[in-house]
Amino acid sequence: MKPRLISSAQIILQLALTAVGLTGQSYPGKPQIIRCRSLEKETFSCWWKPGSDGGLPSNYTLFYSKDSEEKIYECPDYLTSGPNSCYFDKNHTNPWTTYIITVMATNEIGSNSSDPQHVDVTSIVQPDAPVNLSLETNTSANVSYLWAKWSPPPLADASSNSHVYHYELRLKPEEKEEWETVSVGMQTHYEVTSLQAGAKYIVQVRCMLDLGEWSEWSLERRIQIPKGECLPPAKPTIVKCRSPEKETFTCWWKPASDGGLSTNHTLLYSKEGEEKVYECPDYKTAGPNSCYFDKKHTSFWTIYNITVRATNEMGSNVSDPHYVDVTYIVQPDPPVNITLELKKIWMEWEVRMLQSFTISVGQQTQCKMFSLNPGKRYIVQIHCKPDHHGLWSEWSPEMYIEVPTDFRVKDMVVWIIVGVLSSLICLIMSWIMILKGYRMMAFILPPVPGPKIKGIDTHLLETGKSEELLSALGCHGFPPTSDCEELLIEYLEVEDSEDQQLMPSHDTPSKNTRIILKETDNDSGRGSCDSPSLLPVKCRESRSLPSPLQTQDVKAKEKKGRKGSWETQCTASEQKTLPCNNESTKSCTWLAVQLPSNQPAMFAYHSTVDAFKITLNTTNMNSSPVLVGNEENHQSLYPIAETVYDDIEKKSEMANSKTDQITMQVRQNQHNDKSPFLNPKLMDYVEVHKVRQDEEPTLLLKQKESSRKSKKCTVPGTSKEYTKVSTVVDHHILVLLPDQRTQHPPVSQEPVAETSQNPQQSQTEKNTSYSMTTPSDSRRDTSGSDYMDPSSFMPSFK
Amino acid sequence: MYLYLHYEEPVCADLQDERYAQGRGFIAKAVNGCHTASLTTPEDKEQAQQIHHEDLLNLILGVLRSWNDPLVHLASEVQRIKEAPETILWKAVEIEEQNKRLLEGMEKIVGRVHSGEVGNDIYTPWEGLPSLQLADEDSRLFAFYNLLHCLRRDSHKIDNYLKVLKCRLIHDNNC
Repeated sequence: MKPRLISSAQIILQLALTAVGLTGQSYPGKPQIIRCRSLEKETFSCWWKPGSDGGLPSNYTLFYSKDSEEKIYECPDYLTSGPNSCYFDKNHTNPWTTYIITVMATNEIGSNSSDPQHVDVTSIVQPDAPVNLSLETNTSANVSYLWAKWSPPPLADASSNSHVYHYELRLKPEEKEEWETVSVGMQTHYEVTSLQAGAKYIVQVRCMLDLGEWSEWSLERRIQIPKGECLPPAKPTIVKCRSPEKETFTCWWKPASDGGLSTNHTLLYSKEGEEKVYECPDYKTAGPNSCYFDKKHTSFWTIYNITVRATNEMGSNVSDPHYVDVTYIVQPDPPVNITLELKKIWMEWEVRMLQSFTISVGQQTQCKMFSLNPGKRYIVQIHCKPDHHGLWSEWSPEMYIEVPTDFRVKDMVVWIIVGVLSSLICLIMSWIMILKGYRMMAFILPPVPGPKIKGIDTHLLETGKSEELLSALGCHGFPPTSDCEELLIEYLEVEDSEDQQLMPSHDTPSKNTRIILKETDNDSGRGSCDSPSLLPVKCRESRSLPSPLQTQDVKAKEKKGRKGSWETQCTASEQKTLPCNNESTKSCTWLAVQLPSNQPAMFAYHSTVDAFKITLNTTNMNSSPVLVGNEENHQSLYPIAETVYDDIEKKSEMANSKTDQITMQVRQNQHNDKSPFLNPKLMDYVEVHKVRQDEEPTLLLKQKESSRKSKKCTVPGTSKEYTKVSTVVDHHILVLLPDQRTQHPPVSQEPVAETSQNPQQSQTEKNTSYSMTTPSDSRRDTSGSDYMDPSSFMPSFK
Repeated sequence: MYLYLHYEEPVCADLQDERYAQGRGFIAKAVNGCHTASLTTPEDKEQAQQIHHEDLLNLILGVLRSWNDPLVHLASEVQRIKEAPETILWKAVEIEEQNKRLLEGMEKIVGRVHSGEVGNDIYTPWEGLPSLQLADEDSRLFAFYNLLHCLRRDSHKIDNYLKVLKCRLIHDNNC
């Protein structure tokens, strides 16, 4: 009702005023309530905007009423909140009441009132913005903090301080547009950490009560955030320096942290012995953080002292010095253009440019490698090094090569061929062996030759040209009788008989003369009577020097079916002294003269002396005639057994007494003891022809015809007789032992020519240094005809 | 005809690095100068190539001669270093013998090349023996290091000069 009343009154007034206005003045315009606000919920204020004043000064009046009341009140306070405002203080404010507020403008003419405003206190609460916003920054450890502080909005009443506000803060860097809003809570300060160093920030705060709205943002506050700590750069380090070709070199370094600011690096160096410091000539060629020294700036055999300096706004730092001698930092680039080739070379693989397993290739640019396992895959890499003081370059990139396995076929073929060839060869060889086996065996292992008569050509014999042979031999009465043939012995046995008539020589000198014979393996055939080693030791008295002659068992002769007489006669006994010396008229002793084996032709039986001579000539250098006279002191290597007789004189006397006795004396070589050995020589037998004293004794070498002579041997009295030749003297003198059984003509010694003259020593002739003494008859008896195989000392009778 | 000192190189390097590592700070002081520094030697390949080969030979001879004496003393003094491994000892002796042989060979060569007599001019005496016999271990070691360092460098120089000569005389500079 009241509002209707008011409004009607206003209409009336307005009509009145307009009526009046027509006169130029009117009532004021309608004011307008702008807003009403409560700061703290306990008071509030309203502001209005006046309308036109109608030409006359207006008065404004605010009327309000509470919705629960009809009473209209007038604004209690027009001043506090400023002009055109109404301030409702605590007493007039009821937060739970809705106020209806009207403002009336009055002037002389009339009045006008605004539209009523319904105001709910609680809905118009809006505090003021906080005040006294202050900002601070703090930087520690490169982190910046922002401290914001403010105060709550001031209120007229001190009691408003108990209000609790909620605050909100917002900030943004100056350049940016978006605010960062932070809800602070109820405190009046706040710390911001996530700040961008170096930016300028704008900060505002606002507050709010539990009801209502946020206040306005406070005034801006700006602050500059510092840029963190500006450090000088850390120390850089020099990584390495290398020279690829020994004429230039490059050094690289590694920068450290720059402290937040841009840093510059400079490389400085000085040379050994100089004080001056230079700067790197070229920072660019080798890339970032490097320094390239070209030829001009590179010196050998001088140590460079290199350092790197990093500088920024805050300061600079220098690396540790690095000492470099260019000669020791040479490291070439890896080799390029590697080609691998596999070549089959008859079961070998050839790989070029291979350097696996770090084989040292030396200075070649090619390398062949063999014996690769087939079927395997190889990885190849190469690197190089300059002479000996540089460094190995990097390995070249890997290259792969695979060795195929298909060479087996060729391999097999080869082996097959080899096998076939070898089997062929074996077949041929065996065939040859079979066919010519004997010959080959003979070639390889020559057979042991059988004994042959020396000087006798078996061929001649076979062919039957006996006459020629005989004439050659100077013998007659060829062919020999069967006896003699039987006497042919092929070999000489050394029998171990009781008699041991022929004993091997002992080294110890014995009183007996020993005649030791050695059988030679001379291939020459010997006649039956040519028992090579039949050398009965003549019993001689006197000392006998041991002669190295091996006595052959005369008994060997027995085996050949010799006439026993021979054997017995030819038995020689070493042990026996020479009993026969005294008695036998025959010479028992006989010597088989051993001839040196290299005495090939023994045909000349005629001349035993010659044989002797030859023998002597051909014997050892040291050898000398066995028969040595007194004056001769030769070594008797001569295989002739010697008998020395002491009683040469006696014998001679004895012999002398028996003219028909042939005394033979063999004087042993004084130095016979020094003749340790006798060459195994053939013992040949000499047929001694009994020689009268007035005759020239002849000696016939025994031959195959000795069979005939054997008779004669056995039969004393024959003109021929076989006498043992004891020794040969002077190469021409044959010392014979006369056959005592027969009436031997004295064997005289005489120089013998190359004929079949037999030198014999005659008793009477004592020209020679020796004499022959007749061996004892008994000896003779037992010894049988002594004969000498002349073949051995027959000179080369062709 | 040409002898190479390449053998000495790794030996010297071993000898140096083994005992006298850079950590000891020797290398910083080691640029004291070698006793052969007074011999003016070409410092790089071009210089070496420009020297007449007779002069080069003489130079080589001079260096070798200058090292004869020090090597003898080195071989004998090195035995007194405590804890010196066996290898150092016999290697030192080997180097000394090698140097002698080299010297002889070079003298022969120079004698052949030079129709005249070989001049004895180029020679630097060595007076470093007392330093090898110092009582203070560190100083003595440093002296050894210095000597070895000089030896290594000089042997490398000679090696290179010989190679230059070889290239020049045998391969006609085609190497």
